[in-house]
Amino acid sequence: MQVEAYAGEEMVLNMGPQHPSTHGVLRLELETDGEIVRNVIPHIGYLHRCFEKHAENIDYPGVIPFCDRMDYIASMNNSLGYALAVEKLMGLEVNERVKTLRVLMAELNRIASHLLSIGTYAMDIGSFTPFLHCFREREKVLDLFEWLCGARLLYNYNWVGGVSHDIPEGFEAKTREFMTQFEPVIAEMDKLLSYNKIFLERTADVGIISEEQALSHNVTGPNLRGSGIAWDLRKEEPYCGYETYEFEVPVGLGEHGPLGSCWDRYYVRIREMEQSLGLIRQALDRLPEGDVHEHIPRRVRPAKSEVYDRTETPRGELGYYLVSDGGLIPFRVKVKSPCFTVLSLLPAIAKGGMVADIIAIIGSIDIVMGEIDR
Amino acid sequence: MKRYFKDIFQSIWTVLQGMKITGLHLFTRSCTLQYPSVKWELPERSRMRLFNKIEDCIGCGQCVRACPVDCIYMTTEKRNKEEPPIFAADGTPIKLRVTQFDIDMSLCCYCNLCTYPCPTHCLVMTPEYEFAVQAKQDFLYRFAKDEPQAPPKPAPSPRPAGAR
Repeated sequence: MQVEAYAGEEMVLNMGPQHPSTHGVLRLELETDGEIVRNVIPHIGYLHRCFEKHAENIDYPGVIPFCDRMDYIASMNNSLGYALAVEKLMGLEVNERVKTLRVLMAELNRIASHLLSIGTYAMDIGSFTPFLHCFREREKVLDLFEWLCGARLLYNYNWVGGVSHDIPEGFEAKTREFMTQFEPVIAEMDKLLSYNKIFLERTADVGIISEEQALSHNVTGPNLRGSGIAWDLRKEEPYCGYETYEFEVPVGLGEHGPLGSCWDRYYVRIREMEQSLGLIRQALDRLPEGDVHEHIPRRVRPAKSEVYDRTETPRGELGYYLVSDGGLIPFRVKVKSPCFTVLSLLPAIAKGGMVADIIAIIGSIDIVMGEIDR
Repeated sequence: MKRYFKDIFQSIWTVLQGMKITGLHLFTRSCTLQYPSVKWELPERSRMRLFNKIEDCIGCGQCVRACPVDCIYMTTEKRNKEEPPIFAADGTPIKLRVTQFDIDMSLCCYCNLCTYPCPTHCLVMTPEYEFAVQAKQDFLYRFAKDEPQAPPKPAPSPRPAGAR
């Protein structure tokens, strides 16, 4: 019994909740045999903020700031999903300008989110320089957002029936300026990190999620596409007029090592940023005239009904299940989080690897604890 | 054996390629800012400290209802009809005396939902961001200037014991 624990056979190692590479407060209980991980048990709940209970006590527009705080790295996309769900519940149609602005902001936010994910991933692996490069670029996106709506991280921008602010004068030119200088940075990342031999050795043969595993665990977003399945809600179930934009869905190709490795997931994000740039360019080109406050209802009071709506956030499929009892306050708000499902896959892919590989896997699935615990 | 040396060579070569990019950055302009001596110019929409121009406040309480974290506390009382009429800056007659308008900035989530419904636009978020304080209670901003004049309402009589 106890004596065996001292025998050096197997050791329980607690990683986290304050480990810098766990992207928040995730505790991993590792059962290690020397350097080999025999079992991983993720413990969640350290960042539980009662989002769903809060949402049952405030009116519909008041939930939006709380949505922003779920996935605080991509809050534009989080509030977009909620706003779309409430609009669906009310049967509200928004005008073209609002739709285009939402696409524009969602894609800018996707770039910012992927930059953070790539930057911190590189830092987890042990390469510090790409982190600084990514954060420098991300800062420019955040500056654009601050100019747009006044906040850098928690925007409260997508409202029910519209957006909070129209774009300020000169925003379009500034965004184009950002895009022209950002495009070479993606190519720079290839040289700096993607094809770096040390980085390849650490990621290319590690944390392989096979197609079957990904589908059976409901993995979504770049993690699913890293396994070679071209599933993107922007293509499959278009919202906000995504069907009218031209873009590709990048999938993992297994160029280095087997398909579905950490490197594939990482590289899908890099190529998604390129696609996002294309989407932003198209959105800027077409930006129709209109009043962004035109369809904002004075009082949000949906009829007694329920709705499930899902959108593609940078981390995958984010679903909102809303139940209305005809009052001013939602009866129930349930969130389907993309990070939660992918975290459930962690024990399956991390078993048998090294302790250092756990870091590489967690970084590559890009989880945000705020969204898992809500 | 051959692969072993090839790996070493590739590692060094790719690292050198990265070093080249890093090295070139020696000749670019710095993008950091020496903060306390130099400061960012924030855009006018920046959502930082809340400010209420109490002279224009009509005491409608819409901000209190809009706040998702309930950090605005407001008490109003009716103005006497004999008192001279006063108006907000945009001409709205002020019929209520705001005797308490407190914002607990430590609870504020900076969502800006309170400023939109304000009919006289007296509640705004300012781009001022340096407002750290030593004690938490200093975050309670008291904007109201008027003292309550009406006699306080009599307290509700306590329920008799055993009553439902």
